[in-house]
Amino acid sequence: MSTPFHLHNKTVLVTGASSGIGKQVAISCSAMGAKVVITGRDEKRLAETFSVLQGEGHSQFVCDLMDETQRNNLFDTIPAIDGYVHSAGVVAPVPVKFIAEKHIRYIMGVNFESAVLSVARLLKNKKLNDAASLVFFSSISVSYPYAGGALYTASKGAIEAYSKNLAIEILPKKMRSNVVVPAMVKTPLYEETKNQSMYRSAEEYESKYPLGLGMPEDVANACIYLLSEASRWVTGINLTLDGGFSIVK
Amino acid sequence: MDINTFIQQLQGEFEDIPAGFLKPETKISDIEGWGSMHALIVIALIDTEYGVTLKGDELRKVSSVQELYDMVVNLKNNPE
Repeated sequence: MSTPFHLHNKTVLVTGASSGIGKQVAISCSAMGAKVVITGRDEKRLAETFSVLQGEGHSQFVCDLMDETQRNNLFDTIPAIDGYVHSAGVVAPVPVKFIAEKHIRYIMGVNFESAVLSVARLLKNKKLNDAASLVFFSSISVSYPYAGGALYTASKGAIEAYSKNLAIEILPKKMRSNVVVPAMVKTPLYEETKNQSMYRSAEEYESKYPLGLGMPEDVANACIYLLSEASRWVTGINLTLDGGFSIVK
Repeated sequence: MDINTFIQQLQGEFEDIPAGFLKPETKISDIEGWGSMHALIVIALIDTEYGVTLKGDELRKVSSVQELYDMVVNLKNNPE
């Protein structure tokens, strides 16, 4: 039986591919047959991701998506793509009283602006093939807020709203836009967040997950579904991945 | 910078701590109701006032107000 659950004959661009979820998405996409274009800021770590991609025909571009020149260069240079996964993102807890312009610029810049400006350039440059699928990341913390998370969750809420609007505008070309909304996933960012003392004990926090914390592979698998033909009828949704967190909360 | 100013700044952020409670030798764990929100505020305060970015695990390493102050001075004078 032939299955639509694969990425053969597709080129997928993954931003933020030098670590964490982005890295795993790139690896999993390559394993499912895609040609993968990866970008990230850290040359060395990006090269590490590149070295573990399966199959042939992949490419890597060191790029800071917050830098207009670098960003435009990237989207002028890359081949046309069938899938776009925006996993560039930062977490930085800031209590509301201490929020300054620099925090807004940094968090909204990486998590929201870089995604929006990248997609604009992709569309303008006609680098998205018909029926292309775009995937963004939000976080369940949009619905389950935490102290210090105002800017982070606002940036993710903004992405959710953006994706639905984008989904409408790209319908004529049968392109799709969806958001993956994970709960806590074990990534380097998770370790960092843990160390920023948002949680008193990791064990206490992890006990809120009936199916345990998520792994980067769990998120990558959802992306593969959204990038593949299997989800051709799916657009404008938020796909929550939370190991049962919200049903027992 | 000196430790008295530092203590005043901390005191200014924590209205639930009685005035005069914080001294250089005060153990952070002795502050009633000490929690993650306090830690966040301490980190943000130190970032705003001293331009030093502390990590949560660094904060957990210090036990007294004096040690916290010394760590901030040290990080400020020896930026990574």
